[in-house]
Amino acid sequence: MSSAPPQPTAGGLPSTGDARASPAIRTEGLGKRYGDTIALEALDLQVQRGEVYGYLGPNGAGKTTTIRLLLGLHRPSSGRAELFGVDAWGDPVTAHRRVAYVAGEPFLWPALTSAETFEFLARLRGGTDTAYRDVLVERFQLDTSRRIRALSKGNRQKVQLIAALATRADLLLLDEPTSGLDPLMEVAFRDCINEARERGQTVFLSSHILSEVEALCDRVGILREGRLVDEGTLAELRHLSAQTVEVTFAGHAPELPPLAGVSVQGAGPNALRFEVTGSVGPLVAALAQHPVTSLTSREPSLEEIFLHHYDGSYGRARG
Amino acid sequence: MLAAGAAPPRPVARLGPVRALARRFLRDARTRTIAFAYLFAVYAYIQPVGYRSAYPTLIGRVDFVRSFAGNAALRLFYGYPYDAVTVGGYSAWRVGGTLAIAAAVFGVLAAVRALRTEEDAGRTELVLAEAIGRRTAYAAALVAIAVDALILWLAQFAGYLAGGLPAGGSAYLALATTSLVGVFAGLGAVLCQLAPTRRVALELGSASVGLFLLLRVIADTSSGAGWMRWATPLGWAEELRPFTGERPLVLLLPLAASALLLAAGAWMTVRRDVGTGVLPARERMRPRMRLLSSPLAQALRSERGSLAVWLISTGAFAFILGMVSTSISSAGISASIKRELARFGSGSIVTPSGYLAFVFIFFILAVSLFACAQIGAAREEELEERLETLLAHPVSRVGWLGGRLLLASGAALTISAAAGLLSWAGAASQGVSISLPRMLEAAANCMPVALLFLGIAALAYAIAPRASAGIAYGLVTVAFLWYLVGSLLAVPKWVVKLTPFQHVGLVPAQSFRALDAVAMLAIAAVACLAALWVFGRRDLIGP
Repeated sequence: MSSAPPQPTAGGLPSTGDARASPAIRTEGLGKRYGDTIALEALDLQVQRGEVYGYLGPNGAGKTTTIRLLLGLHRPSSGRAELFGVDAWGDPVTAHRRVAYVAGEPFLWPALTSAETFEFLARLRGGTDTAYRDVLVERFQLDTSRRIRALSKGNRQKVQLIAALATRADLLLLDEPTSGLDPLMEVAFRDCINEARERGQTVFLSSHILSEVEALCDRVGILREGRLVDEGTLAELRHLSAQTVEVTFAGHAPELPPLAGVSVQGAGPNALRFEVTGSVGPLVAALAQHPVTSLTSREPSLEEIFLHHYDGSYGRARG
Repeated sequence: MLAAGAAPPRPVARLGPVRALARRFLRDARTRTIAFAYLFAVYAYIQPVGYRSAYPTLIGRVDFVRSFAGNAALRLFYGYPYDAVTVGGYSAWRVGGTLAIAAAVFGVLAAVRALRTEEDAGRTELVLAEAIGRRTAYAAALVAIAVDALILWLAQFAGYLAGGLPAGGSAYLALATTSLVGVFAGLGAVLCQLAPTRRVALELGSASVGLFLLLRVIADTSSGAGWMRWATPLGWAEELRPFTGERPLVLLLPLAASALLLAAGAWMTVRRDVGTGVLPARERMRPRMRLLSSPLAQALRSERGSLAVWLISTGAFAFILGMVSTSISSAGISASIKRELARFGSGSIVTPSGYLAFVFIFFILAVSLFACAQIGAAREEELEERLETLLAHPVSRVGWLGGRLLLASGAALTISAAAGLLSWAGAASQGVSISLPRMLEAAANCMPVALLFLGIAALAYAIAPRASAGIAYGLVTVAFLWYLVGSLLAVPKWVVKLTPFQHVGLVPAQSFRALDAVAMLAIAAVACLAALWVFGRRDLIGP
């Protein structure tokens, strides 16, 4: 089988001096246009080493285009992309030495078995962690003696995933990696990503499965029609977004004076629901004069933040 | 049902999916159909016209028949000439034989495309998930192939008519060749049910065409083996004897064979699992780690089956050609005919070495087509997006395409060498004395043209990956046809010389034309470098 694992990435601290400063991913004004269609526009992205970054967007928002540009498979129409300070289009071979990629669709060689595919992909890279690969094969319950042709889509996806994870590459570029996986395998996948984080690997996870991103990612970027419309840690995104306050009164709900950053909806004969952007202080002060029997406050879920960006009336410029 | 009152009557409703599917199949295959229709029309037109202009008098024609057409070695390519003194008989001989092979190839390709390519891509499942039965889908494929066959028949018929042949005979001659589309589509349909994958179906189909051609070749060239013509569909097309004493009853043979094979295909298609073949495929096995060390090694691994098929079939043909070269003799050939023969490009086809030099043109053609097929295989890697998987690794684009070009060149050289070696062995086995080094030189002589087309195909692939297969095969075909007929037509010499095949010294009869070879190799090298440059700078494309 294959040779020794590639250089370890203990604690995510790079040993090479010159590359110390460069983030795992950096794009500057990165854009891609296919004919008349603008697939991606002026993307400025930085993913630091050791970070698990969630890249969110619905189908067709430009997630796969971004990854193809990061891999140098497509040529940027404008701007540039760097992986660990190496230009993705200019020197893809050097850049790819530190990257493992899982495509949204498993495109593999139908006549090879999984074991042969692992061997081939490991040779392309120049080595992989075969011991870890065996662990992963066990964990994902893959029969490696079958030809790719005979595997279901989910099983082919496992082949890709195992091959990529076993490399212990410094950067994992994952494009909707769990499509086709069953819930048990989804759990195994999350374990693997958490292990990768502990080892200091950087993970770029493109997805539209919000619970997955919420559970795994340190930072999230939201893509809409080729533009990054929001970015930050989950806490930041929540802070910037409206939180929901529900108040029940003893008796009929009162009329409140208009407050900046607060919108009101009826929620029953003696209850009101407030969407509050920014501080809740003024609202609490206004409520103090009324007979409040219960008050619940809830931070928005990632799903609500996400939906805000895709509901025209909530469209909000970045930052 | 929605709007039940307005629903069309039941028979029309039943025909709906067949029509929709058949239309889909026709559209999917339209590029190939158009290309073949052009080939059929042009070839059918140019042969009677060329014959009239080359042999205007009866005396010339009789002379031609006695020497050239009576030559066993030439029958190998064109079949048995029943009467090459008339324009119609000559056309039936020269066109019928060649287009019969083309029709056979078309039949196999059309059947595999409609019945198996769709299925392996998973689209058939979508279709069958609708209220459409397998028989309906199968019938729709047959309708599409029948329409294609009709188009080819019309193209050929129009070509003969334009070439000045009588309508009745033209229609019959066109029918003789086109009838093979049905037979070989039937064969293809059966293979699609048997083979575990599309690729295996295609390889078995090509192998059968080769085998039937071999039978015809033996029947036409060996004395006493004429009965073997009945054993091969390609022989039936000859036995229909267009323009030379028609035997329309023979049409029952292709009709019966088509019906039988297509029915067998229909019987099997409703009895097997979608996406698999009747023959079992080994899906579980111990890993074999050979030829996985690099993209180039893996390319060799995935191409080795088709390489073997090319090598074996070329080698077998070369051996037989070598053997029949012994039947060549210059006895009874007049000086005027020798001059005419010279216009085919070889001054001395009537000696064994002259004959082998002449047939090597066909090997040059074969190796050029092989080069196109290799670029086609590279293109498939990209269209099926495996190249994306590959290039996401530390693998350079230029290295990958360069490796494919290297593999194609090496394999082309191997096939050429086999042709040279085995034609020598075939000739030697019959006591013909031809020098082995000269035959190996003839083999090497295949390379400049083949590499030229490899370079052009690679450049076409780099610039326009989707259209590239059509461009590459089309250029080779046009260049070769131009070589065959260009010299018969009254066109300026420089126009005739436009095809690379005109720039080949016919080794071993003539000497190797080093200057032309160097020029072609230089163009090939520039085209390959340009291809690498362009390919390194474009977006990868998907399916």
